[in-house]
Amino acid sequence: MAAGEIERQLAALRPSLLAIARLQLRNDAWAEDVVSETMIAALEGAERFAAQSQVKTWVVGILKHKIIDQFRRARREVSTDAEVEAAEVETFDELFLEDGHRANMPAEWGNPESSFERSQFFEVLQACVDQLPASLGRIFMMREWLDYETAQICKELGITSTNCFVMLYRARMRLRECLEMNWFGAQGHT
Amino acid sequence: MSGMVHITCKQAHRLLSERLDRPLGPGERWRLWLHLRFCDMCSRVGRQMDFLRASVRRLDK
Repeated sequence: MAAGEIERQLAALRPSLLAIARLQLRNDAWAEDVVSETMIAALEGAERFAAQSQVKTWVVGILKHKIIDQFRRARREVSTDAEVEAAEVETFDELFLEDGHRANMPAEWGNPESSFERSQFFEVLQACVDQLPASLGRIFMMREWLDYETAQICKELGITSTNCFVMLYRARMRLRECLEMNWFGAQGHT
Repeated sequence: MSGMVHITCKQAHRLLSERLDRPLGPGERWRLWLHLRFCDMCSRVGRQMDFLRASVRRLDK
């Protein structure tokens, strides 16, 4: 690919890379750094880039590695945040009766996959992830976007596997609720 | 809770999330399966949790 062309494509991708880096790292300065590092690595590796694959897929792969490096550099801070968050108790009392049964029927989401066709859906999803407490957002994105095994997450964050499962549960419960309120129950949908 | 067959919705919700993060044991799978067979609410939440995973994987597409 011509040098000018790859530069143009990278510049166009920058905002979406920055958005996802912010979502994963929950620190704007770190996100700026990893995206800049990604841009440099991509430009340096442009000759080796196989033109048949998607530029975005390739660059996102680089970004993931840079994010993992950043988490390692900031290990102490990230793991302190995770320990604090792990100590929080969230019982979702509004959803369950005293005997543990669900108090109300969750809304029917219809054919939710049709939302993938709508770019607004991903804006709502990003906003919902962004509303999570920083550590819940980080751990959720590590699991679902970076595709870490839970054992890796525990090791990187220095928390127990039980805490890890509970935090992922809390994140999913909140995100489910947030999508229900802001997408599936709202005007944007159908 | 090894001897208990019936689990509550609250416990089922936890298992619905944990099944995405670790393989459930045979007893857990059995109790969850039994619960979901009779509980539309939890079955729905389970599908929504699966959908959440599929959605996040598309965030960078």
